[in-house]
Amino acid sequence: MHVYLPIAEMPVNALLVLLLSGAVGFLSGLLGVGGGFIMTPILLFMGVPPPVAVATELSQVTASSVSGAISYSRRRLIDLRMAALLTLGGLIGGYWGVQLIAVVRELGQADVLVSLVYVAFLTSIGGLMLWESTEALRRQALGLPPPRPKARPAGIVLPLQMRFPRSGLTLSILPPLAIGAGAGAIGAIMGVGGGFLLVPAMIYLLRMPANVVVGTSLIVVLITSSQLTVQQSAVNGSVDLVLAAMLITGGVIGAQFGVQAGHTLPPERLRTMLGAVVLATGLCLLVSLLLPPGERYALGGGL
Amino acid sequence: MRRAASASAIFALFAMLAAALFAAPAIAQSSDGFVAAVTEDQIAVSSTFSGARIFVFGATPSRRADDVVVVVRGPGGPVTVMRREPVFGLWVNSDPVKFEAAPGFFAVMTAKPLSQIASRKAIWELGLDPAGAARLTGATPADADPGAYRAALVRLKRAQNLYQENPRGLTRLPGGLYRSPVALPANAPPGEYRVEVYLFRNRKLVGTETSTIQIKRIGVERMIHDFADRFPVLYGITAVLVALGAGWLASVTLGRRT
Repeated sequence: MHVYLPIAEMPVNALLVLLLSGAVGFLSGLLGVGGGFIMTPILLFMGVPPPVAVATELSQVTASSVSGAISYSRRRLIDLRMAALLTLGGLIGGYWGVQLIAVVRELGQADVLVSLVYVAFLTSIGGLMLWESTEALRRQALGLPPPRPKARPAGIVLPLQMRFPRSGLTLSILPPLAIGAGAGAIGAIMGVGGGFLLVPAMIYLLRMPANVVVGTSLIVVLITSSQLTVQQSAVNGSVDLVLAAMLITGGVIGAQFGVQAGHTLPPERLRTMLGAVVLATGLCLLVSLLLPPGERYALGGGL
Repeated sequence: MRRAASASAIFALFAMLAAALFAAPAIAQSSDGFVAAVTEDQIAVSSTFSGARIFVFGATPSRRADDVVVVVRGPGGPVTVMRREPVFGLWVNSDPVKFEAAPGFFAVMTAKPLSQIASRKAIWELGLDPAGAARLTGATPADADPGAYRAALVRLKRAQNLYQENPRGLTRLPGGLYRSPVALPANAPPGEYRVEVYLFRNRKLVGTETSTIQIKRIGVERMIHDFADRFPVLYGITAVLVALGAGWLASVTLGRRT
């Protein structure tokens, strides 16, 4: 069943879009990511023009993450203080990411930057998560105690300490701000919400309890993607509401099933899955970029 | 089946011609009996739009040496063509070259190869092939050949069915009549299309007829496009509100089961 998209100016198979966005939404609710890093390349592959793909996918990220976030907040599994700091950092980082890409676009190298950032971060983050979490699962299976977390470097006590009761942590506000800024900048370059960076950063760098990480990440992704959707629409006018409606429908339904599946799985298992999904996406992209292209030329702005 | 279809098409053609000769001003006619017309002057793009087919038809003074060239041009705009370059071993798009104006759609239909109808000079000047129709203005990278970029643009647009060159895309019928079907694909950009019909005699241009057709969005497609165009910020906020509303709805309807 084909539906014509008014902004992209092309028809797409509605059923296919619904199924794919449902699957991505499932991963979103399950793993605390928006899913933009998977769905945006899929939309580009289907022939949707890049600005439309990026901007429209952001609205699906908003929908899936709010759908998941409400469910997590009902279970009180969201650290709002942490989310606020990460979001604040994210808005600052996102601003600079957009500036950077504008400069690089002037130089005609935006696609180079975007491709390299995609491959570098997806493969490295995905690989690290997969390796760590399978190691944790292996230790569990052998009955070994989990490795003792390395002590924080003593002597350096960062200023501006704050208590995070929901996570049971006392931390300086600087690391969450920096992590938010980093994820925001990279997310803006990739045109995604940045959840796949926030989740591992919260687990490994901030050492937040695994059960609050997913919900907290979803809140941050929700705010970032809302802001980016409006910004993209104002600057490029490139959100396609018809495509968005299909993506959102699939996304929110998938996300609900994802959240429910998430409660039945141990956190290490979830991290393995997220790591595998991120790594697989990165490797697919890497392979497609390593193969010499049949067509040396491409019409502007593609990934 | 096909024969019936083409017979009815010919009948329709005669009927329209007859009607047009008396009434319709849409049909262009020059003094020496060269006429051209298009079956549609408006094509509606609704949510089920999957492309359209138009017929360009008419008559020429009945002479053996007459050749007809039908050109359909869609709304143009700037286009960037990039070349894939290996960076750290990865083939990424680089070295962009900007064409200030390239037609969004281009079809040239003839009964035999264009080179047998018109001189290279005429083809270039009239923009009868898509490479000539795309104007290159930006600077090309030092080591790059502008011709290669131009050829790539045509190749890429042709792959999307947006550029068509068919040396068998025009049928001559008895009595000096001609007819040419032009398929507008679903990804053809909405806007004003120019239909140009050229009459060549012994490789010399002896007549030109032009008309326009509109590809217009209607209904929901049009509302959404106009909304995005006129109120981009409000449109973006609407998109976010739709997303938030849908997310909330899904979590209250599906989420309470556990």
